[in-house]
Order: sequence, then C-alpha cells, then structure tokens
Amino acid sequence: MEGGKEVIVGKTKSRGACDLVMRLLALSLTLAAAIILGVDKQTKIVSLVVSPSLPPLDFPATAKWHYLSSFVFFVVSNAIACAYAALSLLISIANKGGNKGLGMFIVILDTLMVALLFSSIGAAGGIGLMGYQGNSHVQWKKVCNVFGKFCNQVAASLVLSLLGAIAFVLLVVVATFRLHKKK
Amino acid sequence: MATTDKPTDTEYGKEVPPPQQPPTSGGRALLQWRPAVLDLSNIDVVLRSLLFAASVVAIVVIVTSNQTELVPNPFTRRLEYRKAEFNHSPAFIYFVVAFSVAGLYSIITTLASISVILKPNYRLKFTLHFLFWDALILGVVASATGAAGAVAYVGLKGNNHVGWVKVCNRYDKYCRHLAGSLAVALFASIVVVLLIWLSSINLHRRIPK
Repeated sequence: MEGGKEVIVGKTKSRGACDLVMRLLALSLTLAAAIILGVDKQTKIVSLVVSPSLPPLDFPATAKWHYLSSFVFFVVSNAIACAYAALSLLISIANKGGNKGLGMFIVILDTLMVALLFSSIGAAGGIGLMGYQGNSHVQWKKVCNVFGKFCNQVAASLVLSLLGAIAFVLLVVVATFRLHKKK
Repeated sequence: MATTDKPTDTEYGKEVPPPQQPPTSGGRALLQWRPAVLDLSNIDVVLRSLLFAASVVAIVVIVTSNQTELVPNPFTRRLEYRKAEFNHSPAFIYFVVAFSVAGLYSIITTLASISVILKPNYRLKFTLHFLFWDALILGVVASATGAAGAVAYVGLKGNNHVGWVKVCNRYDKYCRHLAGSLAVALFASIVVVLLIWLSSINLHRRIPK
C-alpha cells in the first residue's frame, strides 16, 4: 500500500495549501473590512429651513463609524477575526507535522470566528438597512440620503466581511473533511 | 413517524446498538471508540431537539410581542394609539424567517440523527453532511441574532447622533418579548456551535492515533 499512502499524503498536502490560501484570504478580507469601516467618516453641510421667510440655516453634520454601537461591534469582531487568522496561519504553518489535537483546536476556534463574524455582519447590516430605509413606525429617519459616501463604505465593508466569514466556514468544512480523509 | 413503531427504541439515550456492521476500517475504529464514556450521537439528538425547541420559542415569543400604546403623534402632538409589531422592522422579519429555517432544519436533522443511531453504518457520511449544513445554519442563525439584537439595542438606548429616539420606554411589553426572544436565539446559536464542535470531535476521535 505504499503508492496509496503517497497519494493520500499528496492529497493532504494540496489540502493544506488550500487551507493556507483560505486563511490568508480570510485574514485579508476581515482586515480590509475592519479598516474600511474604521476610517469611515463623512462631514456634510446640512441646510435646515427653519421658516420660509428666513434664509436656510447651514451647519456641518458629521457621521462617524463609532456613533453606532453595532458598527463598533463590527469593527472589533473583524479585528479579532483578523488577528486570529494571522495567529492561526502561523500555527498551521508551524504545524506541518500534523498534530491532530492542534488541528482540532483550530477547527473549534474557527467555528467561534464564524459565529462572531456572522453575528457582527447581522448587526451592522441591520443598522445599515435602518439607515438606508429608515423606519416610519418609530420615526427613525433615514440618513443615507445625506451621507451617501458613508453608507457606500459601510456596504463595501459588509460585503468584504461576508466573504471573509464564508472563507471561515469553508475553513471549518475543509479542515474537518481533511480530518476525515486522514483516517 | 417511522421510528416509533420499533419496539426497542423507547429511550434513545440508553440504547446502544450492538456493533453489527461489517468490520471495515471504519468499523475497527468504531469498535475501539465505542466503549468510551458516552455515545456522542445521543448528545447530537438532544442538541438538535434543543435547537428545535429554542427556534420555536424564539419565534413564538417575538410574534406575540404586539403592543398598542397611547403615544403622542410627532406632528400634531395629539395622543393616539399606535401599535408596535415585530414586522415593522426588516431585521425582525429576517429573524423570524431565519429561525423558521433553523427550526425546520432541526426537525429534519433530528430525524436523520435518530435514524443514524438505529442504523450506524451511514454514520460517517451523515456526520460530514451535518457538519457542512450546520456551519451554514450557524451563519444564518448568528446573523439573525446579530441583526435583531442591534435593532433592539437602538430601540432600547436610542441614538442621538442620528436622531433615533428610544421606544422601549413606551413599549415595555414589546421590548421584554424582544429581549426574551433574543436570549433564546443566543442560546440557539450556542447550541449550533456545540453541534459543530461535537461533529468535528466525533470525526476526530475516529482517526486512529
């Protein structure tokens, strides 16, 4: 069974490379998402008409990412996922020998990252939708008609983070299939 | 249900089917692994039924959160009755839909998991498929919890930067229902995480050292 064993080793090697590429992808995507939302800020001159007889009142209005707590949660969890991806990348490069206990530990933490990233995407997406549409039932006004660039940046960050989260899901699935194939 | 008319399966938790499958390489690993502390498939069934119960409770609690209160109209300053319902916010609609999907999924997989206990030959294949779909459901459930939680938080605290007033001081019962539903949803997300851990530990333990 020498040939068969070699085939299996070759397969695990290619799967290991796939794992590394996916981890790198997750790292860069979550980093990009955190940075894009983290630098999000827009100041605009808003003119307010107090009464038709007076000239409109101009004042600057600023939208910053940390005004909304769900965006703070989003940035923090993306930063955590990014740091974890970097750490686990180093660990899985160092773990060439295939220590199964360590591999198991990484799968467990990957699953946690999936949960964290998806909940933060949900939170930021829910608030982003509220800002985009507003809510007439509770008189929450929409803000995206004023702060267009701010909202676009939030949307871009959400898409990147969603891709990063999908990369983490694939990491869990691929790693477990690899554990299964090693048998 | 086809599983109820079998005479032996009155209690799934206590039933340990004899290792009758042909001793392939998987069967050998299974034999080494069987006498260990607990049969993990039974925990799997219990967790899946818990997920079902949690999804049903979360949906029922959020759907019954209607509340009608006297609130001042912002334009005319007159008091009028206004209703608060879960379907006023897209995040809560998503929440209900996501947990309906999770509940349906948990029914199907509970039945599948029970049938795997009765017929352990297909256990490995089922565990792999469960793991993949569990990971997807985890994404759905966690994002629904996050979305509903974020909107409910704004409803609780308000946000003066964007001029979103809080509503929970008026609609107290509504917000209590939301909070209960969110707590159960968080529990459900934790259950899905545990399911994934269980599946991967299960697969991991089958590998001979």
